[in-house]
Amino acid sequence: MGFAQPNPAPTAALARNRATVMAELRRLLPPMGEQRKPLPFGLAAIDSHLPDGGLACGALHEVIPAAEGCIAAAFGFIAAVLSRISSPPSLGMGRFCKSVDALASPHDPHPTLSTREREQQARLLRTPPLLVVMPAYGLRPYRPHGRLHSHGLNALGLDPARLILVETAHRKETLWAMEEAVRSAAPAAVVGVIDTLDLKLSQRLHLAATDAGLPLFLLRPAPPTLPSPASGGGWGGGSAAATRWRIGTAKVARDRFGLITQPRWHLQLERCRNGRPGEWVVEYDHVAHRFSLAAALADFSRARGAGEKSIKQAS
Amino acid sequence: MNAAAEALSLATGDLLADARAKTEFLQVRDADPAADGTALRRLALWATRYTPTASPWTEDNDADGFFLDITGSAHLFGGEEKLLADLASRLRKNFGLPARLAVADTPGAAWALSRFHKTPSFVLPPGQEAAALAPLPIAALRLAPETRATLRRLGFKTVGSLLDKPRAPFAARFPTELLRRVDQALGRIDEPLVPIVAPPVYHCLRYLIEPIFTHDAIIAHANRLMATLIHVLTRDDVGARALRLCLYNVDGAVETIDIGLTLPTRSVAHVARLIELKLEALAAACDAGFGFEAIGLAVTCAEPMPARQTELTSASEDGNRTERCAALIDALRQRLGPHSVRRFEPVASHLPERAEVLPPIDGEATAWPEAEQKPRPLLLLPHAEPAEDVTALVPDGPPRRFSWRGVTYDVTGAQGPERIGAEWWRYREPKPTRDYYLVEDSTGHRFWLFREGLYGRETTAARWFVHGLFA
Repeated sequence: MGFAQPNPAPTAALARNRATVMAELRRLLPPMGEQRKPLPFGLAAIDSHLPDGGLACGALHEVIPAAEGCIAAAFGFIAAVLSRISSPPSLGMGRFCKSVDALASPHDPHPTLSTREREQQARLLRTPPLLVVMPAYGLRPYRPHGRLHSHGLNALGLDPARLILVETAHRKETLWAMEEAVRSAAPAAVVGVIDTLDLKLSQRLHLAATDAGLPLFLLRPAPPTLPSPASGGGWGGGSAAATRWRIGTAKVARDRFGLITQPRWHLQLERCRNGRPGEWVVEYDHVAHRFSLAAALADFSRARGAGEKSIKQAS
Repeated sequence: MNAAAEALSLATGDLLADARAKTEFLQVRDADPAADGTALRRLALWATRYTPTASPWTEDNDADGFFLDITGSAHLFGGEEKLLADLASRLRKNFGLPARLAVADTPGAAWALSRFHKTPSFVLPPGQEAAALAPLPIAALRLAPETRATLRRLGFKTVGSLLDKPRAPFAARFPTELLRRVDQALGRIDEPLVPIVAPPVYHCLRYLIEPIFTHDAIIAHANRLMATLIHVLTRDDVGARALRLCLYNVDGAVETIDIGLTLPTRSVAHVARLIELKLEALAAACDAGFGFEAIGLAVTCAEPMPARQTELTSASEDGNRTERCAALIDALRQRLGPHSVRRFEPVASHLPERAEVLPPIDGEATAWPEAEQKPRPLLLLPHAEPAEDVTALVPDGPPRRFSWRGVTYDVTGAQGPERIGAEWWRYREPKPTRDYYLVEDSTGHRFWLFREGLYGRETTAARWFVHGLFA
């Protein structure tokens, strides 16, 4: 009986069923482990406020500059979080993988590059990109404050080569591009800049992010100084985002030579689903991709008060 | 010269006065070569349904027709005669144009026969160019008017009278044009055709019995065409990098949709999605009119795409992700425009505004150098903006206070200067040097300011500018 004579009928049936079997197996197998894990800040003070000890991966996160002038700080905070997604700290393992890759490839696609450049190239190929949807239209306050500078990103520890910038001509395109990018599940994270957000829109984007398991960061403009109840759609509780961060500037510390080494931000976690709001002043180390609490102001007395207030509001 | 004009015995080359004398109903318009050229291009584009290589005639060839290279495509229409009959009937039916057609082994012979052969559509058997051309007049050789006049004065009336003479005296007396044209007509030297659109690598075309109008129908047919093309693509181990979808309208217009891809692909679904996105974007501009009677899909650029084994587990996740990324970039580009998806590239320059470019994504990213220990702002202003009312303790020192955009900032800390010289080799007159400072105001906003010009050497009153914002 025959291995030597394969019966044509079962083979055809197998070929036909192969797709369905594979689909079923893919469904049953656990999805990519590290993809679904939340993104921790590496700071117990912040992570304890967040559900599962980190920013949820498949979710919408709102980032709002505390004032119009804090737009750079808000971008900086996002860049810092992104650089933590894309650059896992386990360097030793990474090197090992690279050398194995180099041995395994029989022909070198880039014979002129040095070893370091080749390592970078290999890392680039392996790490998924980050997608930034930048409106090319006059969206206040982002447009008047310039555009992202690649060397500035590099200085914050985010490799600019990982970034894909999408320029959109109007709001509809921005929304479409963000949803398309999230649904494709190709990039590691998506960042979008948008003016207003209503409940329906945020639900739609959040759902897309949840389905794909990608974090979607939405940068929204600073709120008007006097929030009027009439325009509550944009600024009240009407958002399905998992977290809302309000980023402000903070005076930096200097090292013993008087140099500014680490940016410092005033983070306010305004809303957090299944978590507690809080307020911190943090520094970011772009070399180690690490957040740390700014020493003098680590314990913010307002943090507890703000948290209790919003819990009361929620209940 | 149309039938009505011929009936009145008008002829090409008549003087206007003579023509007016022959008929009293003549209306006179200036010739419009540009519009003629556009119409000819449109006609040639329409004719790509017969073969991808259609080449409209230039001024050398009188610019009133086009060549079709039907090598290998005549059998699709049941032979050369059938193709000519089909072409003639469609030209008459769709455009109302009477046409003179000829098939020959060389473009030169085909041109001559289409003009001067007695039947309006003629197929020359291979290898008989010399015999067929011999009775035709000298004008059949596409010569300049002066050459023609000289030949006529020397008594050469037909092509045949030239062909049996020795070449050397002609080469001595006439410009190279004469012998070149003779050789081209007889196939002794090549005459390259310039196709109206780049000839595709792979091509697939489908005639429809009923014209189609809707996007769904177009996509369904494009799907089928791509599925057909995939067999040849797989056979040759290549994938499509660029595709062109041609929609042949019933009224003769041709809509083309170009699709560029980031990675070579053989995926029907991906191509269909890109076509759908493009059709959505074109919805207003693309007019189905009377419907499309034929639809063609061509692979204009193919690249090697080795077969890969698909795997079940996460080992293949990287490869999948690369493909998904390419698919995403394609989709974004189709909908938002080819220049909307960009990536930073470093430029070796110290001037911050020149140190980066943002070109549309093409191929792999270049690796970035390690970040230097110099402060660089996260947001860079497109143009450095002047800072007003700057006070500094010493002329060369950092500012203590400045206003920018109507707000005054008190500087509590500054770091610098970082001196960046102008690139003197790029400008005729030297630009001033800049001293950059990272300054922080009392609320923690961090700015990148520079003072333009060196005191004493370049300027006496330096100006200050804000160039960026730090995170």
